[in-house]
Amino acid sequence: MSSKDNKSDSDIAAVVLASMFFALLLLYICTEQFSSDFVNVAWMIPVFPIISFGLILLFGMYDPRRGGSFALVGVGLSSVFSMAVVYEVLFQDSLHGGFIESTRTWFGGETYSFEFGTYIDSLAAILLLVVGFVSYLVVLFSTSYMHEEGDRQVRYFGEICLFVGVMLGLVIANSFLLMFIFWELVGVCSYLLIGFWYEKPSAASAAKKAFLVTRVGDVFLLLGLIILFNTFGTLRYSELFSDPELLAANATEVKWATLCLFGGAVGKSAQFPLHVWLPDAMEGPTTVSALIHAATMVKAGVFLVARAYPLIVHSPDTAIYIAVTGGVTAFIAASMAMVMNDIKRVLAYSTISQLGYMFLALGTGAWAVWHAAEEGLEIHVQGYTAGLFHLMNHAFFKALLFLGAGAVIHSVHTQDMREMGGLRKSMPITSLTMGLGVLSIAGVPFFSGFWSKDEILEAVHHNAEAEGIFGILWWLALLTAAMTAFYMTRLWMMTFSGPDNRKVSEMKPAKDHEETGNWELSQKEVKIHAHEAPLVMTIPLMLLAFMAVFSGFLLFIGDGFGSMVYFGHHESTEGLIQWGIIDHILSSYLTYLSVVVGLTGVTLGYLFYKRSSDGNTILSTSFISDNIVLGPLHTFLSNRLYMAKLFDWFGMRTWDTFAQACDWFDRNIVDGLVNATASITQFFSNKVRKLNSGFTGHYASLTVGGLGAIVLITRVIMPIMGWSI
Amino acid sequence: MIDPINFVVFSSMLLLIGAYGVIRNKNAIVVLMSVEIMLTAANINFVAFSTFYNVLSGQIVVLFVTTIAAAEVAIGLAILLSLFKQRGTIELDLLNRLRW
Repeated sequence: MSSKDNKSDSDIAAVVLASMFFALLLLYICTEQFSSDFVNVAWMIPVFPIISFGLILLFGMYDPRRGGSFALVGVGLSSVFSMAVVYEVLFQDSLHGGFIESTRTWFGGETYSFEFGTYIDSLAAILLLVVGFVSYLVVLFSTSYMHEEGDRQVRYFGEICLFVGVMLGLVIANSFLLMFIFWELVGVCSYLLIGFWYEKPSAASAAKKAFLVTRVGDVFLLLGLIILFNTFGTLRYSELFSDPELLAANATEVKWATLCLFGGAVGKSAQFPLHVWLPDAMEGPTTVSALIHAATMVKAGVFLVARAYPLIVHSPDTAIYIAVTGGVTAFIAASMAMVMNDIKRVLAYSTISQLGYMFLALGTGAWAVWHAAEEGLEIHVQGYTAGLFHLMNHAFFKALLFLGAGAVIHSVHTQDMREMGGLRKSMPITSLTMGLGVLSIAGVPFFSGFWSKDEILEAVHHNAEAEGIFGILWWLALLTAAMTAFYMTRLWMMTFSGPDNRKVSEMKPAKDHEETGNWELSQKEVKIHAHEAPLVMTIPLMLLAFMAVFSGFLLFIGDGFGSMVYFGHHESTEGLIQWGIIDHILSSYLTYLSVVVGLTGVTLGYLFYKRSSDGNTILSTSFISDNIVLGPLHTFLSNRLYMAKLFDWFGMRTWDTFAQACDWFDRNIVDGLVNATASITQFFSNKVRKLNSGFTGHYASLTVGGLGAIVLITRVIMPIMGWSI
Repeated sequence: MIDPINFVVFSSMLLLIGAYGVIRNKNAIVVLMSVEIMLTAANINFVAFSTFYNVLSGQIVVLFVTTIAAAEVAIGLAILLSLFKQRGTIELDLLNRLRW
């Protein structure tokens, strides 16, 4: 590590500390001046990053970090404010499971006035925790990771700030309409950031794909909002959710509205079949991937479903649809992640799979609430809590894994895991922290992923007694857990294990290449050059690793996570407070089942993909491709289930045909009408324009003659005929 | 008092004479003079009815019309002058380039 790096490290540390100090001071002043509640200054949270977005655009070039300092300060301020709100809402339980809304009228009319404001409850708080924490670390990581980009960092940091700001706005918005505005802004920012290297055609098309695919979902979301507004005349959460009887009375409208809302979530959170954009979104910088996957973009869909929960619990069909979509997505995405060789793509599919878990949990929970209300039962486990718990844990370990992958890519300049290996020695901190992340997502006991995944499985299993489909989903989820453990271990093994030099075969021009053009196979000794990332990059990794290991123990702090984030009322959910208590977890055979499944996956991954002393994995590629079952399956999975081809085929067969028919109609019928009008007009005007002779006398006589004609008609002919004007 | 019908007939005749002049004459200056005759026809009507109804505003309008007509003639003559410089003629039969 050179002294220059050390200098930039202390440089950044100064910015970080200064911004933190400033933030705490500001927080103190705000709360002392205006009220004693942190929640009342929540509206400032999205404002800081958006202001620094503007400042970066104006003054970013004058900053030695090219906007990085502004981003650190802006996002840092909102992080501190977020943490203050989180502390008050989650740990002090100041809202008692309720919410605080503050609202202003933006513009109003006779029948409807558009209001904007904040709506803080435990759901918003948990998202603030995730977004505030992760996005700050990502920005900190970026200041070093994006260093090679030079002046283009200004654009990067500006867009990152806007991205974080609008996501925070989405989280604390107080109506579906305001949320929809931020929702679209999040889409725009993701488009800009995925296409950061827009001169690369693949990046440009990935950005376009992400924008267009999520747009399909957005159309559904807008449709859902229209249905809601037509039915209830408002889109404010507090008004919509306040009257359960009204919701139950309009069951059909609620069902279609929630299905449409979920359509929006499917697009944004990359669920099957709209998952295709997320793996391509890996074209952006790795830090952007970390932000999209852990904090900002894809979590918006989960947030939307959790936000619409008071509506969804009135519609069991929607709940089951959400659960099935989640379960199926979790399974197929995990299966695809097993065969990918690009380290970022593995993580992308893993994100899709884990988001599927969250939707499975949320759908299951909503169905359970509905079922309990129908039968008059007590709710046993809450899928809602499990899903949001997994959301939080996933944010930490997925940000960790992505930033770790970023550090690896930054170091070895490749994304192909086959070209890595043996990085454990040269990158000790990265390999250790990523290892913790892998264990966490794999569901190894006592790591955070274990707790939340276990709760999800239990929630699904609990429903299986009442509704058969949840039994199938439970098996899918269990299989997914095993596959998750397998592919994450594979990722770590292929990247970090083994010696750091090895023989690779490559095609070289033969000695007589000049004359014959022959190539020959030769063995080459390759040493993988890697170096540990600077401190600015490893500190976020260490912090995230700490969270990835310990955030699961939030279950046991105080009354447990279940008493902080839950759906329903305190009184009616006596059983809930017990949620996550350790003897309950230890006494359930389901827990041991998920432990066994997770460990099996890890063991298989270790056995198959451990790099031996020659640097190759034990499970060779030829073994898979020669196998009669695994070979075709491998091809099928690595071609991403032929989804892209299917879409293309479908597009060519249906849409293209339709488009060609439209084209014919447009060219011949529509254009024909227009052209006919034009040519008829032209024909007659060719006759008439001869009047325009250029002789003054002709014009004058026409004027006089016309006047005479008018006088003749109105004064002579019309009186004679008896007409009146 | 003279019957206003006399004035109306007189001014109509003046108007027709002016219009005939505008239509038939080839010389642009004579056309301008004919336009002045038509304006005078309108002015006679104004004055006649102003006296008939005993309202002064008609005569005021005549003053305005006269003033503006003078300005109009000044502009018209200026246009004709520059036209003559460019084309060497002010015969309207020869100035028919602005047409279909």
